[in-house]
Amino acid sequence: MRVPVVKSLAWSVIAMGQLSFSSTLAAERIEPNEWLSRMGAAVQMTSYEGTVIRIQDGKAEALKVIHTVSDGVIREKVVAQEGNGLEIIRNGNEVHCILPDRQSVLVEEWDDQSTLFSTLPTSEVRFGSEYDVSIVREERVAGRQAILVAIRPHDGYRYGHRIWLDTETAFPLQTQLIGEDGTALEQVKFADISLNKIIHASALAPSYSTENYRWLKQPARHISHVLETEWASSDIPQGFRAVATHGEILPGGDAVVTHIMFSDGLASVSVFVAPRDAAFSEGPSRVGGSNSYSAIVDGHRVTAVGEVPAMTVKQIATTMRRP
Amino acid sequence: MNDAIRMQISAFVDGELPDAEADLLLRRMSQDADLRKQVAEFLEIGRAMRGEPGVPGVERLQDRISAALDDKPLADDEVVPEAPAGRSMRPWLGAAVAASVALLAIIGLQFSPGIDGSNEVEPERAVADVDEDAGITVPVPDDELRQYVLSHGASSSELGANGLNTRLVTLRLSEEALAEEETEEDTVDEEATDEILTQP
Repeated sequence: MRVPVVKSLAWSVIAMGQLSFSSTLAAERIEPNEWLSRMGAAVQMTSYEGTVIRIQDGKAEALKVIHTVSDGVIREKVVAQEGNGLEIIRNGNEVHCILPDRQSVLVEEWDDQSTLFSTLPTSEVRFGSEYDVSIVREERVAGRQAILVAIRPHDGYRYGHRIWLDTETAFPLQTQLIGEDGTALEQVKFADISLNKIIHASALAPSYSTENYRWLKQPARHISHVLETEWASSDIPQGFRAVATHGEILPGGDAVVTHIMFSDGLASVSVFVAPRDAAFSEGPSRVGGSNSYSAIVDGHRVTAVGEVPAMTVKQIATTMRRP
Repeated sequence: MNDAIRMQISAFVDGELPDAEADLLLRRMSQDADLRKQVAEFLEIGRAMRGEPGVPGVERLQDRISAALDDKPLADDEVVPEAPAGRSMRPWLGAAVAASVALLAIIGLQFSPGIDGSNEVEPERAVADVDEDAGITVPVPDDELRQYVLSHGASSSELGANGLNTRLVTLRLSEEALAEEETEEDTVDEEATDEILTQP
């Protein structure tokens, strides 16, 4: 599900209309949820160029980011400022990930509406009531006036979010994913940004000549069909519900894996049910900001993955049952 | 790096640098790889583990790390002895995990003391979280798990919740897969070469 383009445009028009308000007045008059809806439109419609600092797992990295939308087509360039010099060039839903150290280009397809700076689902799936949303204060981020919106979970089964939105445009200048003890698990912050500037095509061109590079296409997920499954959690954490179920053949595999997507309106957890593998090991793992837990249930390997606390994936994986 | 910058970084990681100066420092970091490296080193958990001075909040982190390593809860009034300098880490996965958790805690202490910006962090809760997480991290996922994470990322994207972090994490996973593939290709090539060389 995603925000229809017409709706996005409508929000954009509303957001533009707000430019005539002073930032303080705007902050006082707009409800927290409305700020989030405006953010959804802003990340889709705003052109920008800036430097992003990303902090995760104790590592900080800087990325130059250029993003523009023209005739509904998103074009982006992301350049890592250190390490292997990674460049991501996006034109619509086709994405080239240039790895200069490997002289390779990975070609991927991204969802045509997905955006770089939205960690929240579209408003249409934000049905949950497991969070409180509030405006905390105004402060400056990247030299611009911003409003801090806090999303607090009611329990320890999900993470919180802190989002600093530009008061003029509702563009997210800084986002944090907040763990159970109040620490930031992930952080993305603009060090500098220019919003709604004219971006020339040349700025979006790759910095490397990729003529002699190896071009590799990511194997596509084969989604076979929407499934009616009997698998369900007997003790799902409050607020989570299944929002999609389908069969998938993952790259490198030949068996159909049942993929059930649970969401509480903000956080999502995928559960994969596969035939038991001889080399299978039970237990928890962590990849990036995601936790996962694998368990053997009824002769199947059940794995839950999501950007939620470890106890959430464990509870979901270990309580999956088939009647 | 001069003393002024060092002091600025110190104040920055301590959360005491005024917003305007913090923004300026972040801008400098964005353009200065050496400075980023210095800040990263400043935050390096090894310093906390060795008990070296200089990183504010180390004492608290040491408590948490010690508690995680000893696998016992830390009482509010319990005094945890400082780790002696040069303490060697036990070859236990939990040690590495505790380090990563503690490093997150450094970031958290400095950048995000609470969801509403308050400085309230519950020590008991924090320690419990460390204990709960201890021993769970598998640094390199197996291929199946990697595919699950990639698939979850793609599905999250369909919900509209696929941000920069998710993309970069999945891209790093793709890079890992590519590196493994290249290694396998090299091995096959070497074997083929060996065969040719050993043919009569």
